[in-house]
Amino acid sequence: MTEDSPKPHFSGASRYVLDDELASIVNISMALEMPLLLKGEPGTGKTMLAHAIAENLKMPLIVLNVKSSMKLVEALYQYDTLTRLNDSRFGDSQRDVSDIAAYIKMGKIGQAFTAAERTVLLIDEIDKADTDFQDDMLDVLDQMTFDIIEIDQTITARHRPVIIITSNAKKDLSDPFLGRCNFHHIAFPEPKVMRQIIRVHFPDIDGDLMTGAVAAFYKLRELDSVEKKPATRELLNWIRALRADPDFHPREIEKGALPYLGVLFKKSQDFARAVAATGRRSLR
Amino acid sequence: MFIAFFYKLKEAGIPVSPTSFLRLQKALSTGLVASLNDFYTASRTILVKSERYFDLFDQVFAHHFEGAEMPAREGVDLDEAIQALLQEWLRDPQVLADVLGMEAAEIGKLSPEELIAYFKARLADQKGRHAGGSRWIGTGGTSPVGHSGYHPGGMRVGGVSRNKSAVKVAMDRRYRDYSHQGPLTQAMVGEALKRLRNLVPTGPKDQVNVAATIYQAMKNGGEIEIVFDRSLRDRLKVILAIDNGGWSMDPYIPVVQTVFDYARAQFKDLKTYFFHNTIYDVLWEDPARYRKPRRIDEFARYDPETRLIVVGDASMAPYELTAAEGSIHVEERSGRPSIERLAFLAETFRHCAWLNPMNARYWDYSQTVKAIGRIFPMFQLSLDGLEKAITHLMQK
Repeated sequence: MTEDSPKPHFSGASRYVLDDELASIVNISMALEMPLLLKGEPGTGKTMLAHAIAENLKMPLIVLNVKSSMKLVEALYQYDTLTRLNDSRFGDSQRDVSDIAAYIKMGKIGQAFTAAERTVLLIDEIDKADTDFQDDMLDVLDQMTFDIIEIDQTITARHRPVIIITSNAKKDLSDPFLGRCNFHHIAFPEPKVMRQIIRVHFPDIDGDLMTGAVAAFYKLRELDSVEKKPATRELLNWIRALRADPDFHPREIEKGALPYLGVLFKKSQDFARAVAATGRRSLR
Repeated sequence: MFIAFFYKLKEAGIPVSPTSFLRLQKALSTGLVASLNDFYTASRTILVKSERYFDLFDQVFAHHFEGAEMPAREGVDLDEAIQALLQEWLRDPQVLADVLGMEAAEIGKLSPEELIAYFKARLADQKGRHAGGSRWIGTGGTSPVGHSGYHPGGMRVGGVSRNKSAVKVAMDRRYRDYSHQGPLTQAMVGEALKRLRNLVPTGPKDQVNVAATIYQAMKNGGEIEIVFDRSLRDRLKVILAIDNGGWSMDPYIPVVQTVFDYARAQFKDLKTYFFHNTIYDVLWEDPARYRKPRRIDEFARYDPETRLIVVGDASMAPYELTAAEGSIHVEERSGRPSIERLAFLAETFRHCAWLNPMNARYWDYSQTVKAIGRIFPMFQLSLDGLEKAITHLMQK
């Protein structure tokens, strides 16, 4: 994408149901060139949004999966000392040993900065890392530059990537971090939106099955003392399972029979509670 | 533009920053904001940084742009000790009546609001004349309610929920000045706990020590010998014992929760135990203090370098601490007074600290707090106290 092309405008993707509010938030964030921080329950489509943006705007997607032990420099670049040492000893590689730059490999953020076109950079589950990592990373994303100390070179982003950051809200993020992001909290979808989402994934779904499954799903979500509530992902998998079963008929749901609860409830206690709540006959 | 709106948000208690306000102006100039709806979305995503404030934002927005009524703000900043005291008294009108020098029947006629106003007046009164009277502030030793299965019968001043709302109404913000520290946020706890670290090399040798490798290669006349190191990890062992029993800890639940959450995220080797009021023969691994007891004697086998952090208000009836059969739970009767058990723990783990969420100003009024303070170094569970506790825990 060149500079003088019309401004990219995000309006949804083939596998993602987008509400207007979120669309305008994404567009504002892109216009302001600010990272967009997405919070919300697991399974509300935070990660999917980045995929949808990349697909819709036809930009390459670069995913940085944050790990708790991660250091910022790993996300920026890596200096491969071992290969260099090896080359200097045996001298049988094509690389020039005296050129340190040949041994610098870009990390995910580095790749996004040096890419030939504008990219979507997804920083997934930022809350796993400690606060120092978060603050330092935001400095880099703010300035759009970082230094490679070994070769004393400053990498400046050629195109400002569209940055999407997700957080499961396990920990609070620090104020300076929040100050540099736009923020949106994805609420759990309403039944109406949920039916749209299902339609996107299963265009040929039986109407009875969908109505029944969605109704049962929201009822199950309201069960008390369930530790991990089933989310969109689980519902989609559940429907997939129901459709795959040739013996299953949608009318069974109306009768209260809910097979494959294990797809919805992943923890054994939750599963036991769900089974107890829906009656023993649903056990197959 | 919209400066008044910005200040209204700030007044409502939403943390908004000037930088983000300027950014909103920039967003307005991009032409993406064409309607009030767009403005709502844009201003919320740019100004508000947590879903906790979404509701408040909606209210302010509706008020500013549509003239809706602003709901009254919640006032919840009563000094915790006073709040605990109040709630205790409200449970038993007779005690309250004794303390206020009124007839129980008279109290029954007062609304909770009036009661609190009266109480506050008496409190101010009392502060002037006998600061330090153990009758007034000491929940610990002299409290006649709650323990030993004594349940106040008869008349109550309102139900639980009414009491709560009354407490809320009474707490106008002038009480805020009493607490010198603001609320302890998770970030603050994090900053304080961060210094509690003990980095030691662990795990597989998978880090190349470049300097040592070059040195070895030189020594070998150019033959490369790669030197690996273990990576540095935080191997500090921490035992966290939390008093999660009884209403006396209730007001402190949020702050204790914060500490606990952060500790869980911060320490790889953290064991959490629970107890009620004080420690007898066992600590419990499950919060219900029912399924998984761990005998105190076994703790002697633990690494003595383990940091022991006890969180509790240390307030109870004195006999619970000193009597041989002190526990209020029948199944915990053991023949050894709790105070010996505490001393044993403090000896076993020389790096230990007791974090007390109760304001330090009230410690002197409670015998049990003083007694435990002689065994464990005691710190207030505030940012200040936490830092002192950490400094103490990291001493060699």
